[in-house]
Amino acid sequence: MTDVGTLALLTMLGAVVGLDFVSFPQAMLARPIVASTLAGALCGDAGAGLMVGVLLECFALETMPFGASRYPEWGPASVAAGAMASLNPGDVHAPSRLIPFAVLAGLACAFVGGQTLVWLRRFNLTVAARYRDELAAGDAAAVVAVQWTGLVVDFGRAGAVTALYVMVLFPLRNALAGMLHPEMDPIAVAIVGSIGVGVAGGAVWKVVHNTKGYQWWLLAGLLIGGTVAVVI
Amino acid sequence: MAIEVYRIDDRLVHGQVVVGWGQPLALGFIVLVDNLVAESEWEQDLYRMGVPPEMTVHFESTTSAMEHLREYRLRPEHGLLLTGDTATMRALVEGGASIGAVNVGGLHHRAGRSPRMRYVFLDPTEESDLRAIAACGVDVSAQDVPSALPVPLDDLLTRSGG
Amino acid sequence: MSAAPTLPAFTWLRVFARLFAVQGSYNYEVMIGNGIAYAAEPAFRLLPGGRGGPAYQAALARHSRYFNSHPYLAALAVGALVRAELDGEDPVRIERFRTACCGPLGAAGDRLVWAGWLPFCSALALLAYGAGISATGVVALFVGTYNVGHVALRAWGLRAGYREGLKVAAALGSPVLRQGPLHVARGVALVGGAALPLTLHRVRADHPFSIGIELALAAGLAAALSRWQGRIDGWRVGVALLVLFLLYSVVR
Repeated sequence: MTDVGTLALLTMLGAVVGLDFVSFPQAMLARPIVASTLAGALCGDAGAGLMVGVLLECFALETMPFGASRYPEWGPASVAAGAMASLNPGDVHAPSRLIPFAVLAGLACAFVGGQTLVWLRRFNLTVAARYRDELAAGDAAAVVAVQWTGLVVDFGRAGAVTALYVMVLFPLRNALAGMLHPEMDPIAVAIVGSIGVGVAGGAVWKVVHNTKGYQWWLLAGLLIGGTVAVVI
Repeated sequence: MAIEVYRIDDRLVHGQVVVGWGQPLALGFIVLVDNLVAESEWEQDLYRMGVPPEMTVHFESTTSAMEHLREYRLRPEHGLLLTGDTATMRALVEGGASIGAVNVGGLHHRAGRSPRMRYVFLDPTEESDLRAIAACGVDVSAQDVPSALPVPLDDLLTRSGG
Repeated sequence: MSAAPTLPAFTWLRVFARLFAVQGSYNYEVMIGNGIAYAAEPAFRLLPGGRGGPAYQAALARHSRYFNSHPYLAALAVGALVRAELDGEDPVRIERFRTACCGPLGAAGDRLVWAGWLPFCSALALLAYGAGISATGVVALFVGTYNVGHVALRAWGLRAGYREGLKVAAALGSPVLRQGPLHVARGVALVGGAALPLTLHRVRADHPFSIGIELALAAGLAAALSRWQGRIDGWRVGVALLVLFLLYSVVR
């Protein structure tokens, strides 16, 4: 289990990246590759956080927030997942064994987080409705109140869900990791990596397939990357 | 048939249309049916700027859309027909446009409208328009992006809130 | 159109800073409408009658109504709307402009940012990871590169919107917005293509299994998702496969 200080730091990080995701300032600190790595660094293993962040980023590439559609919330989920893979498990489980569970936990939390964003938007609506007459009259104080209430509540929401994820996931973490068949240890990360890269491949194709001549650019990239991977 | 989707969306040309539907369907053109926009050059300029250079937007009034629909359907590229309100789509359907399915993609908050889903708010006239469209044998459902599950009209009209 | 009135530097700065919080009260009724009013408010203080005057209040009331667009390109709308208000444009024309620019700003922003710049920066970060760069380096590269584009787009939008006013279609015709997504998409293809094998290579570096099986799984999944595009979310398929694998690992 995490100590109170680490939990507080993770909660604060989750609140910051959760606020960043939609409300302020959308600098993409909420992307898994950032949030999970920062969480890993806070917990003493930036490398493990980065690996989970990279794998979650592969999935996140597939879910861009087009036109106000509903999407998973990656920030707090990535903080929890990065921490899950980085904090010393306190027993014999190899950190690599935690990676698949951390990725899955991150994906599940991102889905839950997306739902809390829907609740936040409904809450924002009730606040705006409370000020409806003042807003219609052009009252600047009402405009500021509605805006700041949304920002503050989003910050609190993101911190709360991060704390919740960490407190729920950590007791589960060691129990689940202990259930993994030892023979699967060496291949678990490789398989999860393949699934993540496959999803990212589909996402890249989705982004570029309407672009004239995309095949050649993609092929050139694959050849360069493939060659370097073989050589190094 | 070149027109793949018939959509009602009060935002007209926007991200869900151009990227959300445009990318998977490889849309080559959009037919925007709106009597006011069809007469407004500066609004047409704005909407043209919202689509990629390889995609074209054609502006039609309800009447001219009925006249040109056959030509659009014979085009080799994939297309999407867009109206900003239910009344225009109803006029097309009842005018004999032979539309198989109508996608309610977004009708947002306005005085008099009640929430049905987070992206669909309807007033009584709009509900009756949608019922009239369905009564012509058209499959009416709400769906913002292709990967979302379509919500059939009967289900949509029983919902309240997002 | 007359020349744009000069805004004090501090007013620019306040409007610009508030643009970063334009989605702060996002809701399903007015979307980012309140955020637009919040961002533009410092400039409305320059309207005749000053802060709290009838023109100021009328402008705030108008702009806190429904509005939705891409959050970064909302800067273009805010610039144009501030200019229109300071020019004393007809409120009916302003209202029509607000309605008409939502969609195009959303579409242009989605193409350039969510379907272009963000995937490009993600792919670049994956490439850096695959090339063996440290955690600090990967994060700095991603955050730095992304935000150069992000901040520049907001700053350009505010200036261009204010310069063009309601004739903002001219600004939307900028080569950055028209041709930019095409070039960025090519960059995504090239960088993403290079990043995928390198990412897989580094992820499996300490836990090699069978490169043949790994490559076949990744390529097969990518091909299947490309084929089913628009009908299914790839990340849901990925989650399902992950659950199946972990269940198999546990019960085996």
